[in-house]
Formats: sequence, C-alpha cells, structure tokens
Amino acid sequence: MFGTTNRKISICLIAVGIFYLILSFRLPAYAYVPIDSDMIPIGLGFLLLILAVFLFFTNDQKTNDNDERIPKKELPIVLGVVGFIVCYIFFLEILGFILVTVLFLFFCSMFLGYKKHVVNGIVSLAVPILIYLLFDSFLQVQLPTGILPF
Amino acid sequence: MDVFQGLAQGFQVALSLDGILFVLIGVSVGTVIGMIPGLGPITAIAVMIPITYGMDPAIALLLMAGVYYGAAYGGAASSILLNAPGVSEAVATTFDGYPMAKQGKAGKALAVAAIGSFVGGTISVVFLTFFAPLLSKVAVSFGPPEYFALMLLGLTAIASLSEGSTIKALISGVIGLMIATIGIDAQTGTLRFTFGSPHLMEGIDFLVIALGLFALAEVTSLILGRKNKMDDMHNVGSLRLTKEEYKEMGPTMGRQSVLGFLVGVLPGAGGTISSFLGYISEKKLSKKPEEFGKGSIKGVAAPETANNAANNGAFVPLLSLGIPGSGTTAVMLGALIVLGIQPGPLLMTDHPDVFWGVIASMYIGNVFLLILNLPLIPYLSRILLVPRPLLISLVIVFCVIGVYAISFSTFDLYLLLAFGIIGYLMRLLNFPAAPLLLAFILGGMMEQAFRQSLTISNGSLSIFVTSPIAGTMLLLAILSFIVPLIKNRKAAGKENIDKSA
Amino acid sequence: MKKLLSVSVLIFLMVFAAACSSGGDKEASGSGDEGEGSSWTPENSIEIVAPSGAGGGWDTTARMAAKMFGETGIIEQDIGVVNKPGGGGAVGWAYIKERNSPYNLFVSSPPILLVPLNGQSQYGHEDFTPISNLIADYGAFAVKADAKWDNLNELFEDMKKDPSSITVVGASSPGSMDHIQFVKIAKAAGVDITKIKYVSDQDGGALTSLLNGSVDVYSTGIAETVEQVKAGKIKVLGITAEERLEGDVISDFQTAKEQGIDASFVNWRGFFGPPDMDEAALKFYEEKFKALSESSEFAEIRNKYGWNEMYMNSQEYKEFLDKEKADIKGLLEELGLAK
Repeated sequence: MFGTTNRKISICLIAVGIFYLILSFRLPAYAYVPIDSDMIPIGLGFLLLILAVFLFFTNDQKTNDNDERIPKKELPIVLGVVGFIVCYIFFLEILGFILVTVLFLFFCSMFLGYKKHVVNGIVSLAVPILIYLLFDSFLQVQLPTGILPF
Repeated sequence: MDVFQGLAQGFQVALSLDGILFVLIGVSVGTVIGMIPGLGPITAIAVMIPITYGMDPAIALLLMAGVYYGAAYGGAASSILLNAPGVSEAVATTFDGYPMAKQGKAGKALAVAAIGSFVGGTISVVFLTFFAPLLSKVAVSFGPPEYFALMLLGLTAIASLSEGSTIKALISGVIGLMIATIGIDAQTGTLRFTFGSPHLMEGIDFLVIALGLFALAEVTSLILGRKNKMDDMHNVGSLRLTKEEYKEMGPTMGRQSVLGFLVGVLPGAGGTISSFLGYISEKKLSKKPEEFGKGSIKGVAAPETANNAANNGAFVPLLSLGIPGSGTTAVMLGALIVLGIQPGPLLMTDHPDVFWGVIASMYIGNVFLLILNLPLIPYLSRILLVPRPLLISLVIVFCVIGVYAISFSTFDLYLLLAFGIIGYLMRLLNFPAAPLLLAFILGGMMEQAFRQSLTISNGSLSIFVTSPIAGTMLLLAILSFIVPLIKNRKAAGKENIDKSA
Repeated sequence: MKKLLSVSVLIFLMVFAAACSSGGDKEASGSGDEGEGSSWTPENSIEIVAPSGAGGGWDTTARMAAKMFGETGIIEQDIGVVNKPGGGGAVGWAYIKERNSPYNLFVSSPPILLVPLNGQSQYGHEDFTPISNLIADYGAFAVKADAKWDNLNELFEDMKKDPSSITVVGASSPGSMDHIQFVKIAKAAGVDITKIKYVSDQDGGALTSLLNGSVDVYSTGIAETVEQVKAGKIKVLGITAEERLEGDVISDFQTAKEQGIDASFVNWRGFFGPPDMDEAALKFYEEKFKALSESSEFAEIRNKYGWNEMYMNSQEYKEFLDKEKADIKGLLEELGLAK
C-alpha cells in the first residue's frame, strides 16, 4: 500500500480547502479598503489546496517512532474518557462547578482503574473546593454555582 | 537625573518595609497565578485595582509589576509537568520541557526554567535601568509595515519547527493561519467564518487551541501508558545541574536576555513572539539542533529567558512613553491612572519615585522569585508521581478550568475537546502541532498589519520596501525561508546519489 | 506597615464576606414583593454582568459601581460582578435575556447600539430595560505635535481636497465607536464620509503609529491623549463633547461645536436590566443608582478615572438611546454598513 495515508489526508485537506474557499468567496464586500477581508482567506485556501496536492504525491514516512495508534482493546477506554469529558462540560453550568468536578474526578479516575477509593474520594472533594475558594473569594472570578447553594 | 542617583532613590522605595513586603506579595501571587491556567496576570491585576486603591502609587505599581513578571516564572510549571501551557508565553517551553519531564528530569527542567527566568529578568532590568529613555525611540519606530515584516520573519520559523516532513509543517501552519481568520475582521467589521455564533465573533482564544492540541492530546498517550511505569522517576524532584550543563546554557541565556528584551520593547510583540524567536534562534545556532524537541536544556532555557526579558522590555514603552505594549501593561496603566499617576512621557521627571521604584523593585523581585521557586521544585515535580488515573482526570479538569476562566462559556469547552481530538489525529498522522499554534499567534496580527499598511499606502506594495527596517526584515525572512530549503535539497540530492551509487 | 495591615484585613474580610454570603439562597425567586404591590427589595445577591473580559471599561465601571454600592450601604445585598466576554457584548446580552431575572443587571455603552446595527447581535437596547445612565466620556481627535493642522476645520479642508492622503486610526473596527465618532463629526463638517481612510489597530499600536508618522489622525478617548499632550508629543484638534470640559490640559481642548461643526458624540455608560423588568424592581434600582450617582464616594471615583457625570433616569435614558440609535443608523446607512 504505497502512499495511501498521505493520499487520504490530502483528499480530506482538499475538501477542507474547498469548503473554506467557498465561504471565503461568499464574504460580503466592503468598499473602503484596498484589500478586502476575503483576500487573505482566498489566498490561504488556494495555498492549502496546493500543499495538499504536493502531499498527495509525497511518499508516506516510515519513521513513525512514537506510535500513537490506539490498540483495539483500549479504544473503549479512550472513548469512555471522551464521554466523561462531554458529560462534564454538559453538566458544568447545570449542576455547578464543585458538584460536577467532584463527580468527574472520582468516577473518571475509578474508570481508569484507580482502586484506592478513600484517597480518590478525598482528592476529588478537596481539589474542586480549593479551586472554587481560590477563584471565588480570592480572585473574584465566579465559577458556576449550579444547584448547590454556594 | 543621573541614573545612579535615580536608582538609589528607587532602592529607597523598594527596600522600605512596605516595598519589600509588597514585592514579595506580588511575586508570590504572580507565581501562583502563573501556574493556574486561564488566569493570566491581567485578571490578577484587574482584581487588585480596588485593593491598591489609596496605596502609595510607587508601592502599588511594584506590587502589580511583581504579579506580572512572577506569572512568567510560574507559567513554566504546567508546561513542563503536564504539557499544558497556561499562558501563551509558555508554549515554546513545552517543546523541550515536557520531554525532559517524561525522561524523569522534571526537577532539572524546572530549575533551568527558574534560572533562565532569573537571568533574563535580571539582565533585562539592567538594560531597562540604563537604556529606557534611549530605547523609547525604538519602541515607536514600528508602524504597520514593520510589524508585518516582523511577524513574517517569525513565521519562517515554521520550517525549522518541523520534524520530518516540511510539507506537513507548512500545512499545519496554513491551517493555523486559517483559524486566525475566524471572527470579526478589524479592518472592515466583516464577520468571517463565525457561522452566526456570537461565541466565534472575537475569534478562538489561544488557550483553547494550546490546551487542546498539547495537553488534551497528550491525555491519550497518558491513558495508553497508564499501566506502564514512567521512566526512572525517583530522581524526579532533583534540581541538580552539572557544570557542563551550566556551561551549555550560559551563552543561550545571555543571548536570549538581549534578544527577548529588544522584542519586548516593541509594543504588541511581547513575550510569546520572543519565546518562539528565542527557541528557534538557539536551535539554528546550536551545533546539535537534532537534540531540540527531545529534551534539550537549551530548548527550555531559551524561551524562558526570552519571555522574562521581554516582559521587562514591555516596561520601556510603558514607563518612558505611557504606551502599553501588552494587554497586561494596559491594565497596569489603567490602575496607575486610578492612583492619580498619569503614566506618560513625563513620568520619569514628575514621579521619579514611581519610575525608579519599579525598576529597583525588579532587581529584588527577581531574587525573591529565584529563592521562592527553587525550593518549590521538588514538591511541584511530585505531581508526576500521582497515580496515572488520578493525574489524567486532574489534567482534564485543569484544562477545563483554564478555558472556562477566560470565556465563561461551555461553547469554548466543546471547542477545547474538538482541538484535543484534532491534536490526537495530528500526532497519529505525524503533523507537528507547533507550527499551527505559531501561525495562529502571529497570523491575526500579521494579516491586520499587512492590510493596514496597504490602506495607508492606498494599495501600493512599495510601503514594505521603502522602510529600511521593514525591508531588512523582509529580506531576512525570505533568506531564512529559502536557505534551509536549498540546504535540504542539496542534502537530499547527496543522499540520493549515495543510494544510487 | 499600616497599609499592609489594612490590605490584609481587607483581603481577609473579602474572603470572609464571600464565605458568608455564599450561605444565602441564590436561586432567583422572581420578585420579592409579597402582596405589597409597589415596593420591591432584593432578597438575594445581585449580579452585574460585564459583557467583556477583565480590565476593560465595562468591567471597571461594573466593579466600581458594585464596590461603591457596598461601601456606601446604598444597596445592602451582595453584588457580584460576572464577566461574560464574547461577540463584542452579544454573548453577555444573550445571557441576560435568557436569565430574565431582576437579579441580573448589566453595564453597557454605545456598542449596544452599534453592534446590532452592524449585524453582529440579534439583541439591541430595545430588548432590555434601561435603568440609569451614570457617566460619560468623550472622543478626541489627535495629530502629531508637528502636524500642519491646528484645528478640525483645517484638517477637514485637507480631507475634502485629497482624502487619500490622510489616514485615520482607531482601536476598533469600522462601524464601531472610534470610527463612528470621527465619521459623525466629519460629516457635519461636510466631508464625504465614504472617502475617509480608516485603519483599525486592535493590538495597542494606534498611538505608536501616530507618533512615528504611519498614520495622521488618532480617533480615541480624551483620557488617552492627556499625557501625550502634556509632554508635547501630540496635539488634540477637537473633542466630541457638547461643551468645554474641566481639568488640567483638558480645558484647553476645543470642542467641535466651538469650531462651528454642529455635532457631538457621547461615550455614555450606564446600567440595564432584563427585558420588561418588573415596575417595582425598576423603581428600586433607579432610586439606588440615582443615590449612587449623587454620593460623594462615587464622585471621587469619577474624578479619579476622569469620567464625567451624566445621570439619566430610565425614561430619559430610553429616549436618549432611541435618538442616538437613529442618528447612528443614518451614518451607517450612508456608509453602507447597516445590516
């Protein structure tokens, strides 16, 4: 399979470039400057297309020393963590910073195989409360309070 | 007034009981602020304005200045330990700092960063002391064409930030420039690529991209390696450096103190650009450039020295002209006005105690920071000994807080996650992330400067060559882009010949 | 030493106060009037939104107002300031609209007229309840000290002759404040506003560009010019206030009106509440803001920051805003920028 990865990437990049170019050409015109807001984006769009074409004809590198590929049996774990993050973000403003962070820290660590539940519990409680106090009281930056009364 | 007389007066302020205490408070708060993502010195200083209300202006300014340069010390910690740069100045520190930490040399990396910050901070204060009025001319010498040329020169670094494929680095860079075009265009007020979302109108924040591409993407490797023991970690907190290592980083720190200071003097350029320029110039000067990116001491020393020097450089336009060179100095300027001091060209003659007091306090502050930071290193480094599953969750929380504290919207958090996934894909496919980030940082300002210049010149490109500063820098930019290409071509050609032979 | 003590006490008190206040129930429970009809007093802590990041004009005004409400005891409930940056204010406005609670106020200024006109926000001032205006700032047009113009008329004469030779710089994009204040005055002086060369520099380089001669005119706020004028680096050709202002150096600045150009521009700043705010709650806040504006403590703040007093009650404020918006809309339509 000679060059396939680069070719696949190249095709994706060309798609991105074309999408970006279409949006660029549709930018409204502004009459009072010599260089309008669409010129640089159009230039960048074409530049990406050219580079993508070059990449298409470049051989794959074989020196992939640090392999970042996710082994099949680890995939559920990684996707699980992504799921945790999505839940964390989704509930952040609804449940409030402290509550949701406590739950996230505790269950995400447990999910990743941390067995010392007592230590986990203490850390999961202490870290969010400390951070909250630091932001709210000392720096006067309000984090979402959510359903808790503070 | 004579410089030494002025400095003596300054030390009277800085060495008073109030002076010493507030410098200490300032640098301690700064260090802590620097370590927390999303909380830049801007927030800290803005919060301090009501507190400084009614204080002696000289003391108030040295307190705020302490927060400012203290944050630059603290910023290195999360970059080195977690690959999570909390401020843009600390991005370049991750390139070699995190590899060092992974090799179990976190303590050493933090020590290099602290010493580099100290050297950069101190040498640049000396410059500030003696050349501030002189250099104020340099500070106003840059108009739009010169800024465009400077940014372009910075961009040529993309090629040298690439490991392996130059074409992939260039693609990364172009994508970074594209991301920089998102938001309201300053020259026309046109909305570009916002898809109708108000969250995208002011563009994507740097921190969202940096934490996504660097820290969150790294989480995947942390997850995969969670059961393996890290490399030899029992020495993790050791900050001992050998004589050779001191020798190695000495010249680097010397050079970068000067370069960083000069870049910092230019309003708007600042710590980020100086840290990238510092990293790249040291890589180019090095006899062993292949060590960069794999845990080189110089690779940590260069950006950390340069960004601290640049921070002090930013005080030149602030103190001698009343022109804020960065967001943080702008807030400081506002705070001074509240205190009844109008910073401007007359500050040095009208309020010598403020002018010299701040400069004198920087000498003391830098010493405090070194004394404060070095003993903290062994404790900070121990964060790497936290069990992996817990560490992973903490890194994620760290990123989320960092982004939330600047945007206060969950929109940016989803964006953060998206950049994390993009960052992982880029690693998988061998696209370097640094060029993307560098292009993003420089791109916005570069495009604006380019178009400002052409509006001023009524569309004539000659404006870029008629200015000697801009012309010279453009020439340098072209050379530094072409020369490595030719070299590569030659080297590749030779290799081919060798192979065919 | 005394100062240190007072600061540490202050910090301690802040921490303590925050800790105590968090004990209260923060959920917005609608209006607090139980059968009494016309009177309303807040039962929970109040939140003032600054629709920008820390450190800017909105943030400062909000923080100072919150601090002074507390220190003078005009409002006894806790007042917190929350930053909602994004979209030039649009994110914060959308947030207030969504919350729709009398405990959520926000601070605003001309961008709430300009941003929707530029098509960058679906909400404008009509969607909220103007409570009170507190302060005003004015624009200034500065040139280098050795420039050939000495007043606005000379500048505008040259602009009429050769508009391509003069570049104006401001810190915001076309259609926003620095641009519009210049356009408004220039139009009144008879300049063809579609020919004005305007560049925007958002990275803090505008003053530098003026000093090194890259651009010719700097459209900004009065406060930004004072020190440079004192040092003899720049001169101010005119300001956008109705009348001469008081203050060191500032009293020398000629208004556009004095120079026979019949136009002015106010950078007002005041507070708004949620849409269709409850009458009783509006009345409560209106009175409190009036008391704040009249207090000597707030006068001192105004003095420190160089803000001018400009109090308007809800009714006056609303009429003022409607008129301002109509004016600006005309300008933007002529420029073809109105959406």
